[in-house]
Amino acid sequence: MMMKICDAGKGSLPDRVREFLARLLREKTVQAVLVAKRHPKGKSAAPVLISDPEKLAGADPLAPVQIINAARILVELTKEQPAAAGDKGQAPRIAAVIRPCEIRAAIELIKLKQVQPANLVLVGFDCAGTFDLKRYGEQKTGEEFTLSFLRASADKDREDIRPACRLCTHFTASGADENLCWMGAEDGELLIEPLTEKGQKLLKSLNAKEAERPKGRDEAIKKKRAEREARLSDSPENLMELLEPCLRCYNCREACPICYCKECLLKSEKMGHTPERHLGRAAKKGQIKLPADTVLFHLTKMNHMGTSCVACGLCEQACPMGIPLGRIYSLVGRHAQALFNYVPGRSAADELPVATFREDELPDVEDVKKGSK
Amino acid sequence: MRAPEVSQASAAFEPKIIAFLCNWCTYAGADLAGTSRIQYPTNIRVIRLMCSGSLDSTYVLRALMEGADGVLIGGCHPGDCHYMSGNFKARRRVAVLKSVLKDTGFEPERVWLRWISASEGAYFADTVKELVEHISKLGPNPLQSEWAV
Repeated sequence: MMMKICDAGKGSLPDRVREFLARLLREKTVQAVLVAKRHPKGKSAAPVLISDPEKLAGADPLAPVQIINAARILVELTKEQPAAAGDKGQAPRIAAVIRPCEIRAAIELIKLKQVQPANLVLVGFDCAGTFDLKRYGEQKTGEEFTLSFLRASADKDREDIRPACRLCTHFTASGADENLCWMGAEDGELLIEPLTEKGQKLLKSLNAKEAERPKGRDEAIKKKRAEREARLSDSPENLMELLEPCLRCYNCREACPICYCKECLLKSEKMGHTPERHLGRAAKKGQIKLPADTVLFHLTKMNHMGTSCVACGLCEQACPMGIPLGRIYSLVGRHAQALFNYVPGRSAADELPVATFREDELPDVEDVKKGSK
Repeated sequence: MRAPEVSQASAAFEPKIIAFLCNWCTYAGADLAGTSRIQYPTNIRVIRLMCSGSLDSTYVLRALMEGADGVLIGGCHPGDCHYMSGNFKARRRVAVLKSVLKDTGFEPERVWLRWISASEGAYFADTVKELVEHISKLGPNPLQSEWAV
């Protein structure tokens, strides 16, 4: 089912998104919306928590730039507080209009008990990708730019969007409560698809009108997915070589929406770096590179978060040394997830692969040669 | 104590193998091998764990980076875990670990997972023999000589 959120023929795509959000705020369906807003100087856009509908001017979730995976912000926004008396069982209070990779990360964080879904409506949208911060700032950005970017990307991805986006095959927010759809629709048309009961209720409360699913939508999605799938590579990476310039700044971990641990094992005393340890290792090997344990850090990170990696590639954007982390992590994640037929962020009902098991699975993991037993 | 078929070239190479063994099954199996006086190569260094499911991959990785040529992870047979499901979780974790090693240009075949019960002393000894042979064929872990790990 698809719904129309505002009457056809009025305003541009971002106008319609803003109108939808303004209605949510005016009718007090939510207390606030979390949505990206372009900086007035035009160099970037940042998530903004808006409670005054007037302040929606300039909000542009479709602007192709992303400085943080907004799922990280949802952790902060939905932290469980002692419930005030009489506040129980209230309707969702925040609507987050975020990208599909952010929705997927949010769903993983719900499973990891970091995001509390009760107060939250997840609104996703068809995403054509984002530029890295520097490249975005170099262009003449603004609402016109956003629109022409979307139009151009519907057919073929631009060469200069982030590499992770060129490889992204989950560009519609299928795990959200609602998805704002423009792919395959008429130019400028925006439809909203409720994907959960919560999403449906919210649209009902707004008296949204039912609408036809755009005829070209499935075809447009299929085409985009094929374009991206053709770019995926399964060949192994040479991690040792790629990590040569790693300075162990932990920026990739800070940018990663899945790395939520308050105390990271890799920074704990157990794994710490003392003079004795460095000297002991140097004595054993003859020489060691410093900062130490860069390869261990990344391999451990991959083992810890790989099955939940949503391939947002923001680790790569955060890397000051230009290491293609997005490509490496998404390859590793994709293969680790395939072991369990797991798609991170597909649904909050799917169990985390590392938290569950099946008795009858993975027959090849035990290293028994034929006839040895 | 070396297997006779190991070639002359690698005969000088004595693999170092770190074994993470679960307290209830494989460690007891190793013990049985010892008390039964079953001979097996002395290349393994055993670390006892309460459960194969308690082993974080980072310790396996660290062993490989600090000079181990191979790693053996030993747990109870499926269905026999002292803690009900630790070995099933270990199996998932090892599957991920091997997949990661493969994708990043390392050698997953240096890490072995085996289910060995407390009564399988002979099987434990055979496993060590097999693994030592296997690692001898692979040669020394190239990460040993890497100064950059």
